[in-house]
This record gives sequence, C-alpha cells and structure tokens, in this order.
Amino acid sequence: MSAAPVIATSGLSKDYGSGRGLFGLDLEVWQGEVFGFLGPNGAGKSTTMRLLLDLIKPTSGSARVLGLDTLRESIEIRGRVGFLPGDLALYPKLTGRAMLDYLAQLRGGVDPRVRDALVERFGADIDRPVRQLSTGNRQKLGLVQAFMHEPELLILDEPIAGLDPLVQQSFHALLAEVSAQGRTVFLSSHTLSEVERVTHRLAILRQGRLVVVDSLENLRQVAVQRLEIEFSGPVDPEEFRALPGVTEAHAEGRTVTVGFEGSADAVVKAAATHDVRAIRPREDGLEDIFLHYYRPDGAP
Amino acid sequence: MTVAAARITLRLRLPAATSAAVGLIAVMAAVGALFPTVGHTIGTLDVPKSVSNLLGGGDYGTITGWFRSEIAAIYGPLVIGALAITGASATTAGEEEDRILGLVLAHPIRRARLVGAKAAAIAVVVLTIAIATWIGLIVGVALGGGGITIAHMTALAVQLAFFGFATGALAIALGAGTGRRTLATGAAATVGILGWLINSFAPLVGAIEWLKYVSPFYYYAGHDPLTRGVDIPGVIVLGVASVVLTALGMIGIERRDLRA
Repeated sequence: MSAAPVIATSGLSKDYGSGRGLFGLDLEVWQGEVFGFLGPNGAGKSTTMRLLLDLIKPTSGSARVLGLDTLRESIEIRGRVGFLPGDLALYPKLTGRAMLDYLAQLRGGVDPRVRDALVERFGADIDRPVRQLSTGNRQKLGLVQAFMHEPELLILDEPIAGLDPLVQQSFHALLAEVSAQGRTVFLSSHTLSEVERVTHRLAILRQGRLVVVDSLENLRQVAVQRLEIEFSGPVDPEEFRALPGVTEAHAEGRTVTVGFEGSADAVVKAAATHDVRAIRPREDGLEDIFLHYYRPDGAP
Repeated sequence: MTVAAARITLRLRLPAATSAAVGLIAVMAAVGALFPTVGHTIGTLDVPKSVSNLLGGGDYGTITGWFRSEIAAIYGPLVIGALAITGASATTAGEEEDRILGLVLAHPIRRARLVGAKAAAIAVVVLTIAIATWIGLIVGVALGGGGITIAHMTALAVQLAFFGFATGALAIALGAGTGRRTLATGAAATVGILGWLINSFAPLVGAIEWLKYVSPFYYYAGHDPLTRGVDIPGVIVLGVASVVLTALGMIGIERRDLRA
C-alpha cells in the first residue's frame, strides 16, 4: 500500500434536497485494492463517483483522488482515471471503432495494442454502429474505453450490467490482473455476487450515508447465521422462534432452518431436546449482509 | 483534443447540413426560374405595408425584390437558424440529456474548451448553409435573367452567416448554460421569430420603432444587403453577440453540475 490513499473523502456531501444525495462521506481506498461500493438504487453510489470526477460539485466536504484535489485538479485526475458510467451512453450513429478512436483522442492517444487486446478479450463488436448493438455489446465498449489507457484508478459504476457470464468471468480476471499490477478499482454494484467475488473490501451506503466499511470476512461475522437441523420426526419451528437472538425459523419436512444472531448455544440446546439426525451450517451470502445493513434499523 | 471534439461534432451534424444545403440550392434555382413567369404579375399586387415588411419590403416586380422576399426574408434565415439552433442545442444540452457528455467530460478536457469546439463545429455548419445560399443565389438569379451583382449576393450570404452564428451562439449559451435541450431550442427559436416580427412591425409604429435594434434580423437584413452590400456595423454586432453568447455558454457550463 502507498502512503496516501488513492481515494480519500472527508465529509463529502451532495444534498439534492428531500433527503436525497450523499451525506458526510468519509472514505479511504488504497492502492491495489478492488473496493466494492454497495447500496440500492438512490443510495448515493453514482453521486459519489460523479463527485470524484468533478462532474458535479459537492455541497460540502472535499475529496482527493490520486493525491489531487477533485475540484482544482480535476483535469489531471481525469487523465489518470478510467470511468465507466452506470448509464453508459455512446453516439448511436458512430461505430464502436469510431467511438473508441474519439475517446482515445480525448486522452491524447492510447496504445492501440492495449485497446485491440481489450476488444479481443471482451469480444467487443467495433464495426457496427452503436445503435445496432445490444446492451451487453455496448457495455463491452464501455469497459474497453475505461481500461484502454491503462489508468491508475478505475471507477466503474455497475460494470457487469448486461454482460453474459463468460464476459463477466473475463472481466473478473481482468480486475484481478489490474489489482496485481498495483492499480486500484473502485466499483459500485447492487449485483451482490459481483462484489462478493472480486472485492477486497467493501462499503455499504444507505440513504446517502455510509453504513459500514470492512472486509467481507469481517462483515460475515456480524451477519445473520443459519443452521439447518434435520430431526428424526417433524418439529414445530415455533419452539425456536421464541429463543433469544433467533430472527427466523421455518420447517420443511423434518428439517428446521433457524436464523440467529450471536451465539448458537440456545438454538443447539433447544434442538438437543429432540432426536437430531444432522446439523448443517448454511453459508450466508452477501445478500444477507447487505439486507442486514440496509434495513432501516440495521445497525451500522 | 478540442480538434477531435469539433471533428466528431461536424461528423454528426454535417449530413443534415449537406442535405439542407442541396435542398436550399434546388429551391433557390426553382425560385429564380419562376421569376420570369410570375414575378411581374405578383409585382403588380397591392400588398399592405405590414405584410410587405414581413416579406422583406416587397418590390416583387424586380429580381432583387423577388429574392429578398422569397429567400432573404424567410427561407434563408429559417433554414440557417433552424440548423444552427437545433445543432447547437443538440450538441450541448442534447448530449448532456442523452448522458454522452457525462462520459466525454470524464476525459481530460475542460468543459469550456469542449463547448468552444462544439461552437466552432456549428459555425462550420452555418458556413455550409451560407455558402449554399450564395451558390443558390448565383444559380437562381442566372435562371431568373440576372440583375443582382455577385458582390450583393455575397453580401447577403455574409450577413446570413453572421445571423446563423448569432442564433447558434444563443442556443449554445442556453444549451451549455442550462443543460436543457427543450429550453435551449425553444428559447432560441422564440428569439428568432420574435426578432423577425419585431423587425417587421416595429418600424411601422413610431413609439416602438426603437425595438428593431434588439432584433437580430435588423442587423442581418435591415440594411438590405442585396441592394446595398455588406453592412459592416450589422456584421460586427452579430459577430460580437456570437462571441459573447458562446463565452457565456463556456462560463455557464463550468459553474454548474452536469444534469445527467
């Protein structure tokens, strides 16, 4: 890790009124990280990215990207950052090739070998007009333009939207390579599995406020745990619902699934009053973590 | 970088401008060819002064009056104004609303310079139409039997070009300054139409005659370029207005949030 964070925000806010926007974001992203930025629609993910690129101005607070001030040194920042907007739009009449050529010229040129390698890697169709391309094929062009100048930092808003599983795999591999090269990726998603697979750390936003920043492992520890308990005969799940820490319990045949927070002691002891055939822990997905934090009463 | 931005804007806008230019030349050739047949008949019509002013001052019995009323008063400024306004608002506010500008401005180019490049491209579109008007005049006047000098036809094309620059710059200022395409197109078109009406009617009412000085039409055609040549003060006013309005658009877009 470098001495200074690649992205550092301090009280960064953008108030759109009526409670919408981003409020008091304090965040640090370090060199070489693949950092996931999670939250439902309207949580403030895209607003944060647009603030970092000076596409919109903060209401208060400040941000530095690559050690540079986002307001005073935005041109240099944009020269060193690759950006994929969440709602990518390209000139419909231009071919993918013409579009990429134009964007490369705006950067003062890119290495054509890098661009061609990305086009081949993603299987991007660059010879047809953009208006004839599917959403997924347009997204491939978006990825190529974001990576083609080998930026130090990639800011990617919903990068796998519309991509087929094979291209997603290719994209994930590319993220790993980029990270290994010491470059940094800041990506947003509400496709939870995407973040789960590729990020080192993640942040969760709720209604414009940062709820948590941590590694996936640490986040799992605070999430709801589940046990699948198989009995020799039917057992009423109501027995478990009254136990301390239990958030849910339901039965399917002779198997009762119990969700709980904290210690498993009460659940195991209650199960032991019956004839237990097997106990299986259920791996919680990021979905559960996400929902846990996104609930209005979810503890930060 | 700005050259690339101007080039791509031109690439996107020139097909429509070229079609309009070809159509303009064809229409002007037809208008010229009609003059020997109908010009003298129409020239005897007793048209009210207000209507005559709307059509550039009448005098349809002469080739100059014929082209002044058919082309200089309405068709020429309509085509050049429409292309300048729609092109300028589409390439600024339109691209912003279509979310293309958000991607382009994530690249290392200043907003003001991008707007300047787009304004330059729209100026080329305007010049294309002005040159087409000049060619159309030469062809049309020849088919109508002659009677207007090349210098005077050139004067109309020059005045028309500066009228196009000013209307386009107004749409640039509104489009880049607000990011709202409908507002930019509507307000610029309204200014153009009001300017035409004011320039036509204000001189008929003593109390509001001074209003003609706020109309871009006055600086474009008030001097009657087909008869009296280039109006240098008019060209200067329209040129300065174009520069100031473009600068306002460049400043405006730097100070605000992108809308999409």
